[in-house]
Amino acid sequence: MSYIVTTENLTKRYRDRTVVDGVDLRVPTGCVYGFLGPNGAGKSTTLKMVLSLIRPTSGAVQVLGQPMTRQTRRDLLGRIGSLIEAPPGYAHLTGAENMRLVQRLLGLEDAQVEHAVRTVRMNDQMDKKVGHYSLGMKQRLGIAMALARRPELLVLDEPSNGLDPAGIEEMRELLRGLAEDGVTVMVSSHLLGEIDKTATVLGILSGGRMIFQGTRDELFAASTPDVLLDCSAPERAQAVLSRIGPATLEGSAVRLAGPGNRAVAGAVAALVGDGIGVHGVRRDEQTLEDVFAELTSGGGL
Amino acid sequence: MTSATVKGFTNEFAKMRQLGVVPVGSALLLGVLGLTMIAALGDPSFAEPRTRSWLPMLGGMSMGVALMSPLMLAVLASRQVDIEHQGQGWLLSATSGLTPGQVCRAKLVALGAVVAMITIATNVIILGVGLALGVPAPPPVGHWLAAVSGALLVSLVLLALHVVLAAKVENQLVGLGIGVLGTLFAAFASGLPTWLAHLAPWGYYALTRAAEYQGESVVLLLPSWPSLLGLAVVGGVVFALVTGRLDRQEV
Repeated sequence: MSYIVTTENLTKRYRDRTVVDGVDLRVPTGCVYGFLGPNGAGKSTTLKMVLSLIRPTSGAVQVLGQPMTRQTRRDLLGRIGSLIEAPPGYAHLTGAENMRLVQRLLGLEDAQVEHAVRTVRMNDQMDKKVGHYSLGMKQRLGIAMALARRPELLVLDEPSNGLDPAGIEEMRELLRGLAEDGVTVMVSSHLLGEIDKTATVLGILSGGRMIFQGTRDELFAASTPDVLLDCSAPERAQAVLSRIGPATLEGSAVRLAGPGNRAVAGAVAALVGDGIGVHGVRRDEQTLEDVFAELTSGGGL
Repeated sequence: MTSATVKGFTNEFAKMRQLGVVPVGSALLLGVLGLTMIAALGDPSFAEPRTRSWLPMLGGMSMGVALMSPLMLAVLASRQVDIEHQGQGWLLSATSGLTPGQVCRAKLVALGAVVAMITIATNVIILGVGLALGVPAPPPVGHWLAAVSGALLVSLVLLALHVVLAAKVENQLVGLGIGVLGTLFAAFASGLPTWLAHLAPWGYYALTRAAEYQGESVVLLLPSWPSLLGLAVVGGVVFALVTGRLDRQEV
């Protein structure tokens, strides 16, 4: 598998505060990479280091097969579109005038700008001043600015922030369309639901550390759900199972926290050995949100 | 200048649209023109066409430039830089390969060109008014050009100061407040001892005066070039250092 972005032990410290701690990113070429983490996890700082907008305290970044440094930055940024933090745009100018600034700076053709504007469906809004745009329109203009250079890699930092549900769905469609056109998209969010259906690879950051990186299925597999045991004497069963591991009473069932298959077999044997009837054993149903919440609250797998 | 800075320079002109550069520039031009005429018409020799001279006009122009420029330059620089803070422009430029320092240098060149055009227009109009009023003597071209060049140099140094100030301090009231204090300093600098006028860049307008009253009569003056050269060198070095730091600053 080829990677469009890799980082090695990427770390950023501000005085004694470590914001990003030894992150090894692997973003496969052609994927939609969902970069997840709660607010303050270090996502924006990591993305800024990837774009060489801030200097890592230690570690290295490789983008498009080249080390991303102050020296290589200008050339590489011509091949990377990005939207970091709030969407850019000069409020006193129209959308078209804003696009012309980017066009001039990057030496782009008219056709590239027109294609970018069409892609974000802003054709009819380009003569309006950006100051009169809604947040959603500003986001789309920001993405058009990033797309105009026909990037091989598009880096979007929380692009759904402030968008209504329809806007978020539109953003998802846009990202899917870009991925189909061969653009690698790296998109950050603090809400799994926002990018779950779009991202093919997920990276989860918590407290500055990468706690998971892989596909959606791998994420499910990596997190072991709880087991619920329906039994004849739940209270006595809880007392028995508490000797093995954490067990809580839940109606007529006892919940065991994240046990492996061997531990489940041991629990059933212990209950039967104690003369307690076991009526059912089942894994708790887990949504991806549960897994994400569990990972980010617990700090890791 | 690198090609990136050249593109940035062209973009700065594009950003000036709808930014109030024309009204502010016009206020500067009309303010200088008005003060020139007030000074000229207030001179008794100007009442009689035969005794009219360029000197009161030049003296008035120097005073007008010193009184009007500090605040107007602060306004021009502040408006041109504040749009970067408000519109995430620093980040937009950085992700397009243009560092904040390059953006500031492009802004100085673009605004400097505007100020130079305003200066030329003001002086051409003053010349035209003098000719229309029938000043009999030929204009003192050498003194005039020297005074205008000196004043423009001071204005460019002040512009550079305000561009970096507006970039570093997001609250634009700070820059405008300094512009107001600069106006006061420039207004009183001609009455201060020369060494005191050297202490702040606004004081250097007093060293570029084209003419001043000595007793009852107005005499022509030449700018103090060594002082102006010193200001240009110090201003240039400080601007280069600060924008160099901005180039390395994390966005």
